[in-house]
Order: sequence, then structure tokens, then C-alpha cells
Amino acid sequence: MKKSIKLAVALLLGVSGPAMAQDIKVGTIFPLSGGAGPDGQSVTNAVKLAIEQINEKGGLLGRKIALVSKDDESTPAVGVSRANEMIAEKVDLVIEGWNSPVTLAMQPILARAGILDITAVSKSDLILSGETNPLAIRINSSNGFDAGIIAKYVVETLKAKKVAFLTQNDVYGNGFQTAVEAEFKKLNFTGEVMMTEKFAFKDTDFRVQLTNLKSANPDAVIVTNSSNSSGLPAMVEQYRQADLKSAFVGAVGIMLPTVFKVAGDANNGIVSADIYFWNLPPFDGIPESQSFVAAFKKAYGVEPDKSAALGAAALQVWARAVEATKSLDRKTVAEAIRGKTIKGTVFGDAQFLPNGQLQPRYVIFKVVDGKTAKLEALP
Amino acid sequence: MNVAQQIVNGLVLGSGYACIALGWTILLGVARLVNFAHGQLYMLGAFATWYAMVTLGLPYPLAILVAIVALAVLGALMQGAMMGLVMTQNLTSLMIVTLGLGYVLQGGSALIFGGNPQTLPGTLSRAKVDLGSLWFTWQDVLVLVATLALYGVVWLSTQKTRFGSVIRAVAEDPKLAELFGINAKVVYLLVFVFECSAVALGAALVAPRSPILTSMGFNEVIMTFVVVVLGGIGSIGGALMAGLGLGLFIAFFGAFLAQAYTTAAAFGVLLALLVVRPAGLSAR
Amino acid sequence: MTVIESQSSSPAALLRAAAVVVLIAVGIFLPRLLRATSVVYSTLTTIAIFAVMCYGVDIVLSYLGEVSLGHTLFWAVGGYTAANLSVKYGLNGWSTAVVTIVLCIIGAGFLGAVTLRTREFVFSLVTYAAAVVAYEIAFNWDAIGGSDGIVGISALKLPFGFAAYVGGTQEELWPVAFALLLLTLAFIGRFRRSRLGTTALMVQMNPALAASLGVDPRKVRLAVFVISAPITGLAGWLYAYQRAYVGPDMFETYFLVMMLTAVVVVGRRVLVGPLTGTAILIAQQNLLSLGGDWNKIILGSVLALVLIFWPAGLIGLFRRFGKART
Repeated sequence: MKKSIKLAVALLLGVSGPAMAQDIKVGTIFPLSGGAGPDGQSVTNAVKLAIEQINEKGGLLGRKIALVSKDDESTPAVGVSRANEMIAEKVDLVIEGWNSPVTLAMQPILARAGILDITAVSKSDLILSGETNPLAIRINSSNGFDAGIIAKYVVETLKAKKVAFLTQNDVYGNGFQTAVEAEFKKLNFTGEVMMTEKFAFKDTDFRVQLTNLKSANPDAVIVTNSSNSSGLPAMVEQYRQADLKSAFVGAVGIMLPTVFKVAGDANNGIVSADIYFWNLPPFDGIPESQSFVAAFKKAYGVEPDKSAALGAAALQVWARAVEATKSLDRKTVAEAIRGKTIKGTVFGDAQFLPNGQLQPRYVIFKVVDGKTAKLEALP
Repeated sequence: MNVAQQIVNGLVLGSGYACIALGWTILLGVARLVNFAHGQLYMLGAFATWYAMVTLGLPYPLAILVAIVALAVLGALMQGAMMGLVMTQNLTSLMIVTLGLGYVLQGGSALIFGGNPQTLPGTLSRAKVDLGSLWFTWQDVLVLVATLALYGVVWLSTQKTRFGSVIRAVAEDPKLAELFGINAKVVYLLVFVFECSAVALGAALVAPRSPILTSMGFNEVIMTFVVVVLGGIGSIGGALMAGLGLGLFIAFFGAFLAQAYTTAAAFGVLLALLVVRPAGLSAR
Repeated sequence: MTVIESQSSSPAALLRAAAVVVLIAVGIFLPRLLRATSVVYSTLTTIAIFAVMCYGVDIVLSYLGEVSLGHTLFWAVGGYTAANLSVKYGLNGWSTAVVTIVLCIIGAGFLGAVTLRTREFVFSLVTYAAAVVAYEIAFNWDAIGGSDGIVGISALKLPFGFAAYVGGTQEELWPVAFALLLLTLAFIGRFRRSRLGTTALMVQMNPALAASLGVDPRKVRLAVFVISAPITGLAGWLYAYQRAYVGPDMFETYFLVMMLTAVVVVGRRVLVGPLTGTAILIAQQNLLSLGGDWNKIILGSVLALVLIFWPAGLIGLFRRFGKART
């Protein structure tokens, strides 16, 4: 009776078929409902596709991979429950993390149970600090690296003399701003940071901050807003409505497809950077990326965005490491990834720092046409 | 620091707060019912408007009407289910029932409308007005005008009409009112339906400012809370003043101090007020 | 159960005591009976911790008749105290527990004083406002954790003279959680029969009678509210050690809704009410989860339907059924 309930639940959750005793189980824990639901769905779909691609070629270590996908509802307490369920399911890997607090809550639980845990998207620096998980691995870039490319653009390319910040008021936003200011020092920035305007993640009305920024009239405004579904598109539109002449420079990775979809033309002229574009170099020349893009388009009707790429890469990195070490043991596989280079992912060669951070390759871009998300890569 | 523009910003924000708060304060004042589904009803009002415009292809004014009617019907159904608890004035259970219903609305909307953000095209939110160095949109003007009109109509009805005195009688003492032949059940029903219609109107006018999501909820209307308590529960004029005042406070606090802490500041002010004047919040 | 219980006869009391002992024994060994995997231990520990959390709200609801929407504040105080003091100063479990209790009493004293003259929905709104302000402070104050919170909380250390009990794994934390649950149940059982408890009930049921007996309702209100706070606070304290991570998410509606549901669904002044309610909720979330959206629909419907048909909680159905059979 209990088994049939479990089966029904598994099917409802979109698990790809009942797992056979000899299948390797991979679990994903992302928000599948609520505000970040569509994003979490996209990442989970990417992992699913990456698994299918491997299964088609004969599987991993001669066994098929089965996916167990769960919803953390962007709530740490729920994520903890799901992590415990993964332990009960005896999965060999958990790919998780859209919201940092959920990742931070789940990590110690998975680590204690000896399950390998790869964080796909969450950006907090604490994830790699070793306190929650000594064998942490993260695919998405960290604030420290991100700051470098944005600072470089503002100082050297834009040659801005007056800079202002429009920063999300949490560890992510404040951390990014601090990192950018530190980079400014390293680049011997001779201009001034005129002002910092802050807002809460859930805010959708930014008139007050934009009015202040307009009065100050800086050369560039560095914007850090991770609310890609509502806050950021609203901010972009209001920025244009308020007729700010300052250049809109977005933090790394914030210009996700929903921002283009919702704000459309208002995005024109925005400069930002990201770590993956299916149609821009160098990624359009990587064979794994091309085949993944084609398969993703075929399965889901749309090209994969950065988040999907992160999910796929997480799976691929693990699979290659397992193949190389012929082992599913957490320590063995983790050490084959941390500080090493894994070939054959959608990112091409994936180089990892000893602390588990994937080294990103940035592409700086300017938005040419917001409606079609047409971008122009800048040098 | 452009003071004039911040005043405009404050009025824009404030009229939004006041518009959404009206239904809630009347419901609280008359039926003493804390409607925890208020945020989800706001979300539904926005999505009903969106659905009417995008799927049914109706023009904006008609879509607003559709939203109002849809939520009025929903409100009638909800109140029907809760009537037993309302008549026995089991306020604690009522609060939690509305919380439960709010959850049902949220889960249901997510399944029906999906989790993706939607925009409301065809409103005036992109029609900009430039007055010298000041800017706002025609939608903002619409919100302000509609809010003032709504408050005017409601105030007049409660003060001048017989129905208004009936409502005030029920608010004062439902049992006594019943003795005088007033059907309290009908009054409660109408007040709840009004709350739902008012929040639908508020949503239809205010929500187009930004993308709408089915995960929207209490957060969007959390300022309603402060407006209602600050303005005096059940006080119509109070809600309007408190709404506009709060909008101006938020604009100036944000402009000159720190925008990120405005929620904390608003609630801090509320708590301070309650410490100083704990009993002076009810309209009685 | 609202009547002051008279002295029961000797054999019945002995039987009751024996039953309690048996139940306690079963409780301690329950995880082993259910196959003793770490998941079983963690689920049971979670149920115990969340149940204790709910008992704080239960006291306020059952004895003051008010719905406190601010108990997430005390829950968070417990968690943050345990996290900050153990990570930054290496204090052991006893110390962090004592500080938690003290801070909760102070906080509840202040909040209780502020809400002395407020009733019903105003009381609820004010407690909610307090929780919101506390959340904003916790979120923005980097020194106590900031928006990402505090990670790496080490194992719970409870020194006993020369030895120390270490609660690092779920198996080791279960006895502590169970002990906390038992303590809470015993406390509430005693509170029910205590002078304060019976007086509070009288104030709630018949204020005029209470006044004529010279009872100061405000002192009673304050005392009950202050007593309820450390219970939820200690639950938060233990949660910090169980989860090894504390953040502003302690203020989330997830916990608030759990508190309200568990307390209301079974009924007021039922000793095992919140425990049963919590167990049902966690069981549904872990075993019968149908995805976030459907879970919301189920939870919301259960909450609404139970209260609409049985405003006094499911216990009303049970009692009516019991009456029908006699």
C-alpha cells in the first residue's frame, strides 16, 4: 500500500519511471512552485535532459540513471525535509540550490548522510566556506569573480567618473557591491562612488530610489537585483520611464529570459555579463553545448538559458568524474572534481578551484533588441 | 533630492495603499473579521483582470468590471461558508479559516494560471506624463482619482443613506441590531462582498505597475495592515489619511534615509504608536 | 476538561501513572521500533521540536483565548541565541538555553505589556507587527547573521559534571527532543491545575466573576503570555542544533501556519492536541506531498473545513462520537 502511494507520488512529481534496483539515483531539489517555480523547473528539466543524453549512450558505469525530483518551495524547512527524503531514497547525488538559505540548510544534512551535494545556482559565499559541507561544489559563479568583470567594464571600457549603486539589500547584493568597490581600488579607479540606493528583494516600485539617482546623474548605475520574475523587469521599465540618462550596468547573471520577456524594449542598451549563452562565443563553438542546445530545444521548445546550463553542467561534471574514478563514493568523486578540470560539459572544459567553485568564463554583452533578447557581445 | 518629485511619488504610493486598504478596514470595523486571504484576493483580482484582457480580449475598463464581479461572487461563496462562524463571532477561528482559504486560493491560482510572471497590456501604466521635471503615469492619476472617488462614494453611503446607518448599527452591536429587525447575515455578506470587490478594483488599478505572479500575497498588501491600524479600524477617513500619509512617509524616509528599511520603519512607527496609545485604535 | 479536576481515586491514579510510564518508554524507543534509520530519527525529532514550538501558542490560545501571531519571534530568539552564542563564544547547551529563556521572558514581558489592553484581532495584529519588526532587524543586522544567517552550528553539548552529552547526530538529539517534549507536556499538565492556569480560564470565561473575586486580569494576561514565550523559545533553541543553520527564515509563515494549524485543528486545552496536529502535518508533508501547490490546497482546505464544521476542533467530532455511543 505504501509502495503504491510512493509510486503515485513519484509519478506525480515527474520522476522518469520507477527506478530499478540497479539504477543509479540522482536527486534534484529546486523550487518547483511559488515565485521561483518556473526557474527551478527549467533547471530540473535541464538535469533530466542531461541524464537522458547519458542514458541514451549506455548509461553510467553500465547502469541507467534515474531522476528523483523534489520541490523545496523556496523554504529552508521544506528543503530540509526533502533532503531527508533523498537520504531515505538512497540517492547517490543531490543537485540542488536556487535560494541560498535553502542550500545552506540542506548542506549539513546531506553531508552528514554522506551524500554528494552539488550546488547549481545559489550564490552565497558561505556555501563554499566548508562549515556546512567540507566537500562542497558549486557551478554558478561567485560574487568575488563577478565583481571583477563588471568593475573592469565600468572603469576601463565605460571610463565612468561618477558611479552609483542600486543594490538589493541582502548578503548577495551587499556582497557584490563590496566586491565591486574592492575591485575599483585594485584598478586604481579615480572617479567617485556618488551614492548607494538600496531596496528589498520583494520590492516592485522603485520610484523613490530612481528619483534620487536621477538627481545625482551618475555616468553609470550598477544594478544588482536578482528578482528576475517581478522586481527586475519592473525596475528596468521604471528606469526608462524616469528617463535616467545614466548607463544601466547589470550585475552578472541577472538578465534572465523572464526579464527580457516582461520588460521587452525597455532592456535596450543595458550592459551586463553572464557565464553562458547558447548562441554567443565561445559557447556556440563547444560541441557538448551545441548538442545539448539542440536536444533542449527539441524537448522543451526553447533554447536553454544560463540556469539550465548550470543544471546540465552539474550533472555532466559528476558523471564524468564518476566515469573517471569508476566510483560513486562521495569523497572519491568530490576530490576528482574539486581543484581539477573536467572535460566535456556544456561549459567546455570545467575548471574547479580547490574550494569547489567552478571557474566562470564571462561574456559581456549589450542588449541590442530587448524584445527578441538579441545581444551583442562586447570585447 | 528632488522634493517635488518625491511628493508625487509619495502620493502615488499612498493612493495605492489607501485603495487596497478600504475594503479591509470596513470589514474589520463592521464584522471584526481579519481577512487573511486579502493578499491572495488581491492577486486573484490582478489575474482576473489579466485573464479578461489577454484571453477574453476585453478592453481594460471592461476587464476591471469582470474582476470586480468575479471576486464579488467568490466573496459571496466564501462568506457563505464562513457564515456560521461569523454569526457566533468566533473571531479566532474565522481568522484561521480565512488563512486556510487564502492558501487554497494561492495553490489553486498557481495551478490554473501557472507560475510565470504576466504583464497587463493595454493599461495606462506606460502612458507617461511629464510636467516640467516631474514625471508620473496616467495610471497613477487614475489610481488617485479612483481612490478618492471610491472613498467619497463609500463615505457618503455610510453617512447619508439608511443602509449606511444599518451597517453602523450592526458594527456597533449585532445582537441589538437584529432585535431591531436588521438581518445581520445579509449585512455581513454584503460587507464581505464589498471587501472583495474593493480589493479587486484596487488590484486592477495598482497591479499593472509591475509583473504579476500567482505567488503574490500578503507581502503585496502588508502595508494595508499598517494603514488600517494607523487610520483607526473602521474609520474611512482615517484609512484615506493614513494611506496617503504612509505613502509620503515611505517616499521621504526612503529618499533621505534608507529605502530598504521602510517596512521596518513603518511597522516600528506602528508599534511605537501602539505602545503610546494602546487602546486608541478601535473606531469605538 | 475546563473544570478543575478533583482528586481521583487511588487505583485510577495508579493506573494513569502506569500508563504514562509505558507511553514514555514507548516514546523513547519509538525510533527503534520504526527501523531506526536516520530519517526516522530526524522526522521524530522534528515533530517533537515543532510540537514544543506549538505549545507556546497553545497556551496563549487556550488560556487567554487569543491568537498570537508573534510567537515566531520567540522561536527565532531561541534559534539565534543558540547559534550566535555557540558559534561565537563556544557556550555550551545549558548556557544558551538559559539565555534563551531569559531573552524570551524579557521580550514577552515587553510585548505583553504593550498588548495588555488590546483584544482579539488587534492583539493578533500587534503581535504580528512585532514579528515583522524583529524579522527586519534580524535580516539586516549582519552581526547576528544577516540575510544569509549563521552556518556551522556545532553539536549540542550538555555537560553533566565530568561527562558531557553531545548531540551531533539525529540519533543523539532524539532523547533531548523527547525530554523537552515530556517536560513541556508535564509543565502544561501542571499549569492546567495551577492557580494561574485556572484563574486565566476564569478570566476568559467569566470576567465579571473574576473581577468580583479581586483578580487583576492584566497581571494574569501578562503572566500567561510571558510563560508561553520560553516554551517556543526552547523549541527554537533545539532546532538550531538540529538543523545546524539559523537564518531569518525562522520568521517565515511556514512556521506560523504550522503553529496555528496544529493548535487549532485538534482543539483547545487538549493536552496532546498540538502534538497530534504537528505529527499529522509533518507526516503529510513528508509522506504524502503532492507538490507545493497541491499541498497548499490540501492544507488550506483542511484548515478551513475543520474549523467551519467543528469550530472547537476535531476533538469536538471525537467527543460527539463518544457521546453518541454511550
